[in-house]
Amino acid sequence: MPAFVPYLLHTLFPPTVLRPTEIGADVLIVATGVIIVTVLTRQKKWGWLWREWLTTVDHKRIAVMYLIAAIAMLFRGGVDALMMRTNLALPSVHFISAEEYNEVFTTHGTIMIFFMAMPLIFALFNAVIPLMIGARDVAFPRLNAVSFWLFAFGALLFNISFVVGGSPNAGWTAYPPLTELAFNPGPGENYYFLALFISGIGTTITGINFLVTILRMRAPGMTLMRMPLFAWTTLCTSALILFAFPPLTVALGTSLLDRLFHASFYTLGHGGMPMMYVNLFWLFGHPEVYIVVLPAFGIFSEVVPTFSRKPLFGYTAMVVSVVAIMVLSYGTWVHHFFTMGAGPSVNVFFGLSTMLIAIPTGVKIFNWIFTMWGGRIRLTVPMLYQLAFIPTFVVGGATGVLLATVPVDYQLHNTYFLVAHFHNTLIGGTVFGLLSGLYYWWPKMFGYKLDERQGKWAFWLFFLGFWVTFGPQYLLGLEGMTRRLWTYPLGLGWHALNLISTIGAYGMGAGFVVLVYNVVWSMQHGERDLTGDPWDGRTLEWSLPSPAPEYNFARIPVVTERDAWWAMKARGETTAVRVRPDEISALELPRNSAMPFFLGLGFFVLGFGLTFRWWWIAGLGLAGILGAMLWAGFDYEDRKHVHAEEIRRIEAALGRLEA
Amino acid sequence: MSVHRAPDAEEHLPYLEAHFESETRFPWIKVVGYAGSLVLTLVAFWAVSAHWMSPTALLAFILGLAVAQAALQLGVFMHLRESRGPSWQIAGLGLGLFIAVGLVGMSIWIMLFKSGVS
Repeated sequence: MPAFVPYLLHTLFPPTVLRPTEIGADVLIVATGVIIVTVLTRQKKWGWLWREWLTTVDHKRIAVMYLIAAIAMLFRGGVDALMMRTNLALPSVHFISAEEYNEVFTTHGTIMIFFMAMPLIFALFNAVIPLMIGARDVAFPRLNAVSFWLFAFGALLFNISFVVGGSPNAGWTAYPPLTELAFNPGPGENYYFLALFISGIGTTITGINFLVTILRMRAPGMTLMRMPLFAWTTLCTSALILFAFPPLTVALGTSLLDRLFHASFYTLGHGGMPMMYVNLFWLFGHPEVYIVVLPAFGIFSEVVPTFSRKPLFGYTAMVVSVVAIMVLSYGTWVHHFFTMGAGPSVNVFFGLSTMLIAIPTGVKIFNWIFTMWGGRIRLTVPMLYQLAFIPTFVVGGATGVLLATVPVDYQLHNTYFLVAHFHNTLIGGTVFGLLSGLYYWWPKMFGYKLDERQGKWAFWLFFLGFWVTFGPQYLLGLEGMTRRLWTYPLGLGWHALNLISTIGAYGMGAGFVVLVYNVVWSMQHGERDLTGDPWDGRTLEWSLPSPAPEYNFARIPVVTERDAWWAMKARGETTAVRVRPDEISALELPRNSAMPFFLGLGFFVLGFGLTFRWWWIAGLGLAGILGAMLWAGFDYEDRKHVHAEEIRRIEAALGRLEA
Repeated sequence: MSVHRAPDAEEHLPYLEAHFESETRFPWIKVVGYAGSLVLTLVAFWAVSAHWMSPTALLAFILGLAVAQAALQLGVFMHLRESRGPSWQIAGLGLGLFIAVGLVGMSIWIMLFKSGVS
């Protein structure tokens, strides 16, 4: 046996990845892989997979790929959460070791934010925004695919850390000195920094893409103040991404330089400043909170009018408050580290700016309620999530204002009170919002509805499970239980509340299982959406068939007011979306490309090489990246022509051709 | 709503047209800008790693290099000077500058640690 084999085995599979949970995961991964490969091979689907999906630049298909990835990541992050809750169910349970607990809470937070919430948001952006504003695709379709593959390979790099080399274990915030090479020598933190670096590039590109799409590609007549509110929140979210991700990139990059090349940006002993990392991280981290919650606000602003049969109350106030939230969220980041001790004037400034954000948010909450007021409300699953969102998010917001009070924060920071607070906003806001949007736009994405009865089961399990999980955690925080605690002894009075919390977590887990069952069942038996407008919707995406054809609009609609589709229905002009055969002209559509996939692969190889400091592998990845970029630069055949005849055929099959 | 009118994305607006492929001359300015950016970065790196000056002077020096590089990139790559219509890009750049200066300024304020209790 050559000498390098034991070294290689030990580096790739150290004892920390040979524990029972990791072995179990190995078995699952191999089994799933074998099943997927077998099915694809036996059904001869490899070519289909490559041509129709992996190389696609169609925003609707990219949305589906984001969605699949996000649900897989929700599963992984959820299993992490259940492992933590199992370990905390009773005093002195040693279900997993302290070391593994550190890894599990780190991956839970990182995955849920970067690899679950973000892709789910991008899934809805991609699925909805071009249809909603009357565009045929996003502004830069190929870059859109680049974004997806950078995200996907970043997520892959992060996830393999679990079974190859060892997981990161310094929390989702990855503060130094916990991440410094001297104290944390394994590859885990390298995985964290590189995976976030790579997917962060993709996220930034997505931000630019949707900014340009919304500013430049709206249908004629759709002025900014006639846009659906989801388009407004997407615009603001994209602007937040554009300015919030660079500080993160700097924080990740300098940490990497510290770890890989022994720089000392954050090493106190060599004149570095670890607090600067904290500052940079939250310069990104606070806008990130609004990056994940603003889309939910936008979704609710679409769901509530549709299911109340009323236009949105106070549209202008809604737009102003979204923009106000966007601007204010840049000026609040210190509230994540009040206890650093930057001084009373700094803390007071950022405490007040944090409280200010509650004002525009409150305006929005009231506007949703006023929209429902006097409306004809249908209690569908999307609407149930909205109704659950209001009290849940209000509690999250109110406890946020409590925590923004600096003396209170000194008492409560890093306790379970904080944990309960941010889950109230992230689950009550982001996750409820995204699930609402998913149920709402599912028929548009896939052409069938998700079963309502099963959806309500999933909703109630998830909603009640949420409160049973996080209600007790406020009390635990007040009793002094700190976050990231591995286990606790009997006699502190924490066990009853912890047990209740764990039961709630399993309730949420059951909700997830029902949700997946709901999707799988509805694929076969769900009500097919033949009209394209199953909810009696108000905005342009409902004027299209479900799912929309590749080119979205055979003819771009002309908009004269808000809720354009509703207005057309009210005037009995729904035939306006049909086209006369002679009106159809040939179209230019973006051509599929394998470049984004290989670019992502190059970044993955680079990241893997850097993680283990195998420079030649990193060099190989870098060469791949440069190759893919040259390919992109000299590939002028990026469009394809769709003949008028083909469009006529598709539109006729959809029954949308005028005689 | 005019129903059967179809003035849509196919409408030709010259200033929206992509114009890269019509460029016939070799983009020397971009190459020079790229090389200049690399040189400015390498000089900063060398100055720090060689401890060329006292720490304070060094900080001022690399800050100057950073500003020079930002200006270079804005001019060469960020379309500061090009315009085929109203100069919309100036407003965006202004917003970017406002946010960047705000974030940097506040960060300096925070990291001064003028605190009696820390």
